[in-house]
Amino acid sequence: MSAAAIAGAARAQNGGLRRFASQEALLALAVIGLAVVVGFINPRFLATRNLSDLLLGNAYIAIAAIGMSMVIISGNIDISVGALIGVLATISGSLAVAGAPILVSWLVPLVLGVAVMAAQGAVVAYLRIPAIVVTLGMLSILKGGLISVTGGKWITDLPQNFHLADLSFLNVPMPVVIMVLATALAAVWMRYSASGRAIYATGGNAEAARLCGVNPQRTVVMVFALHGFFAGIATLVYATQLRVIQSTTPPGLELTVITASVVGGVSILGGVGTVVGSTLAAILIAEITSALVFINVSPYWTDALRGGLILATVIADILRRQRRAARGWSK
Amino acid sequence: MSLAAEAPARAIPWWLKRHETLLAIILVIALAGLGAANERFLTVDNLLNQGRLMTEIGLIALPMTFVIITGGIDLSVGAVVGLCAIMLGYSWKNFGFPLPVAIVFALAVGGVAGFVNGLVITRIKVPPLIMTIATLALYRGLAEGISQAHSVRGYPEWFYVLGQGDLFGVPTQLIVLMILMLVAGVALDRTIFGRTLYAIGANETAARFSALSVDRVKLVVYTLSGLASGLAAIVLVSRVTTTRMDMGMGYELDVIAAVVLGGTSIFGGSGTIWGTAIGLAMIQLLKNGLALTGVKGDATIVVIGVALILSVLIASSLQRRRD
Amino acid sequence: MKARLLTSTAATIVALAFAASGANAAGKWDGADDLPTSPLACDASGAAAPEAAKPYDGGQPTNPPDKAGKEITLVDVPKLIGIGYFNATSKGMQDAAKELGNVKVTTDGPTEAKIDEQIKFIDNYITRGVDGILFAANDPVAIAPVLKKALSKGIHVVGYDANSTPDAREWFVNQAQFNGIGKAMMDSMAKEIGEDGSFAIVTSTFTTPNQARWIAEMQAYAAKCHPKMNWLETVEAQEDNNLSFNQATTLINKYGDKLKGLFGMTSVATPASAEAVTKAGLCGKVAVVGLATPNAMKPYVNAGCVKSVVLWNPVDLGYAATYVMRAVVDGKLKPGATSVEAGKLGKLNVVNGSEILLGPPFIYNKSNVDQFDF
Repeated sequence: MSAAAIAGAARAQNGGLRRFASQEALLALAVIGLAVVVGFINPRFLATRNLSDLLLGNAYIAIAAIGMSMVIISGNIDISVGALIGVLATISGSLAVAGAPILVSWLVPLVLGVAVMAAQGAVVAYLRIPAIVVTLGMLSILKGGLISVTGGKWITDLPQNFHLADLSFLNVPMPVVIMVLATALAAVWMRYSASGRAIYATGGNAEAARLCGVNPQRTVVMVFALHGFFAGIATLVYATQLRVIQSTTPPGLELTVITASVVGGVSILGGVGTVVGSTLAAILIAEITSALVFINVSPYWTDALRGGLILATVIADILRRQRRAARGWSK
Repeated sequence: MSLAAEAPARAIPWWLKRHETLLAIILVIALAGLGAANERFLTVDNLLNQGRLMTEIGLIALPMTFVIITGGIDLSVGAVVGLCAIMLGYSWKNFGFPLPVAIVFALAVGGVAGFVNGLVITRIKVPPLIMTIATLALYRGLAEGISQAHSVRGYPEWFYVLGQGDLFGVPTQLIVLMILMLVAGVALDRTIFGRTLYAIGANETAARFSALSVDRVKLVVYTLSGLASGLAAIVLVSRVTTTRMDMGMGYELDVIAAVVLGGTSIFGGSGTIWGTAIGLAMIQLLKNGLALTGVKGDATIVVIGVALILSVLIASSLQRRRD
Repeated sequence: MKARLLTSTAATIVALAFAASGANAAGKWDGADDLPTSPLACDASGAAAPEAAKPYDGGQPTNPPDKAGKEITLVDVPKLIGIGYFNATSKGMQDAAKELGNVKVTTDGPTEAKIDEQIKFIDNYITRGVDGILFAANDPVAIAPVLKKALSKGIHVVGYDANSTPDAREWFVNQAQFNGIGKAMMDSMAKEIGEDGSFAIVTSTFTTPNQARWIAEMQAYAAKCHPKMNWLETVEAQEDNNLSFNQATTLINKYGDKLKGLFGMTSVATPASAEAVTKAGLCGKVAVVGLATPNAMKPYVNAGCVKSVVLWNPVDLGYAATYVMRAVVDGKLKPGATSVEAGKLGKLNVVNGSEILLGPPFIYNKSNVDQFDF
């Protein structure tokens, strides 16, 4: 029975997925189009080195945005992710410096990330406290707690083999490999697995999902746990990239991650969007930041232009959806 | 502040069932505890001073309550504070506007910033969170671009009355906040406008079919949010005597924390101004009380986070049991 | 209607882009506060243009209780807590308190460098009652009202690291004068990349007062003493490690061989710039000069990628601030004084009316970096 129900939900979703497949196309077009325009003005922008650095330096944002997209698609939100990444990075680095085996210092952030986020998910799902309240509270707890414990002392003298981000696979830097793999796996899982579908169903209409045999509460806990897992992976890339770990929470990271998700076409009302979109959006935003330096925009105006371009992308996406929806109805 | 918090509890018995009442009780218990721990906490001077310090967040929290009741959100408020502060200083110094004109101009800029949010949200149907996350970046960027990162200083002495002066022994801006809070509270409880907000938040489609002017009301609400942020900017500039483009950074989270702590549902359809007032007072006084008792800033943030989750948890579970 | 909205949005963005590109990327820097710059002499003496001795221009507390020789409780409110730099100043204060024996000092402040948060902290400590406040201001003007309130309640006020308007505090312990930093930075860079080299700057934000003034002084000094050096660009990177790294990398990729040097204006931006240069494999080809704490720079200095880092000792700065406060309370440092005794630091001179100068900035390199631990 439940299998049939999920198939039904999947059918309902399929139209949606096909429709939004082109959101990714639009973003990919924007990423390429911007590269071409900026490359025309300053050919150095297109150097392999620069494009690779661009991906390398921002992969952690894209990875964190994968989990964030799932959370938003399930009809929730998480404001604590930036603080969590700061805490996990500090723990991971401290372990490595204290002489723990490198694998342990890589695995602990993943486990803790899952634990902290699953706990938040449980509070949201079973105690019915809105996610924004729980995660806002957690943001305070993690941020204040981190400074209380570490006093903000930087972590230096990290062992050489701790730097996962310095490795590469087939000449592709590890952060990029991880970003692509994580995005691909998450996208396939969300599209084809029953539990992946359940996320869309819960976000679209929790009551209907329940009637179809999906357990919305369990789904929410699962989504938060997965989000914690991706936050853990993002931490690995983030913490192992530089020689020092700041042991403070990266300022405004949660907003950057949420922005990537929503520009990627994830609807904040829940139920629609894909992680391919959010990864492309994270790349686009990073590309805009870098491009503005390359085309000699006055540094005072870069933030305004970035905001304007993000706004334009979002509006273009919404208008395109509406035109499609209108055409769909008229048939 | 504690007066405003307790009054509803005593005056209106059926409110006993409500989130606000439970929060007010939690607040009173917390205040009594902190008051017992430190004799400098429950003094008129200290409480009035805390009122002064929380006014900017409070002003923005009023229309934010409206916005959240309609099921929306406005993340751009902190950036609008920065933009309006810059427009106040810039128009006064660079356009040569007389200061009163500059104040009106800054308010107008805030209104326009909010209006643009509302316009795109209602006309193009961009979800509020997405729209205001984008304008958060845009408005802050405009503030930086226009000001070229310059601060403006040296305002005339009379301007500081708003942010640093007293009226009948009460901080000027606190009186402004109280009046606006009363107006907002009555508007929400007693007017068609207020009813419409709840109707939109509860079920927007149904509200539309009931011939309510959903779009116009939303437009008004977001414009109010911009205006209030503009007013907060003016109060802030007057209190700290300078203008910088990074003013109001992070206000959005403080404001939302006060509103949701006050029992407004983030999903829309329920909430009151009185609840917001209690939530606001609770956060400010908790921070202050802890600081006076010798708790350091980093630990205070942790306590605020726990308090935010616990009080919403306690209030909602008690409420469920009573229902 | 929708189309029109979209068109107008697009038009706004294009207009913005025009406005933006019209502005000069490396225009004149005036420290964001329109104050004049005062570049030092080009030679090693570093003598400033002779200044007329300024009379005391600090404020005075109203009827402070006489605590000369008695135990006092101080609070230190830095710009923000939880960063290495202010951990070091705080350590210096504890060291001084231990030496003096009759001073108790606690450090407390906001977790982010926000002006209104810092004001709330100071306000709470005024209510709580302390004998003295030590501060490092996020904004010199915004902090003034609350400091004046402290003075009016008989609380002593001494600043360090980042000043307020003079009348809002009694004394300010200046780690190094702005023009001294400007000279040290530019001279170090010129030595490494030559008199005709091109360089770019990574800073926190254009509004941070200290950084803005240092850049202004660097520009003034460069115009006077290194006129052929080519100032390419200045970018913002907050106080964020990864963002600083990304911005530095962008600059390296943008300018290629043309870029000979990078300045880091904060203790975050400098190591991140050094990391970017290392990752790009350009050690020795792109020089990194900047302000930074030794621990974060050790790997790069020891690897030879960074030759010199400019800094004062923040532990000494906190130490001096505490001694100055003690001297003020004891009545040993009065308006008009020309120097003050500061424990192991010896005699420190009064400059500029009401500032106490820690000394010239020092430049650390491979030979001495391992002697420091902060």
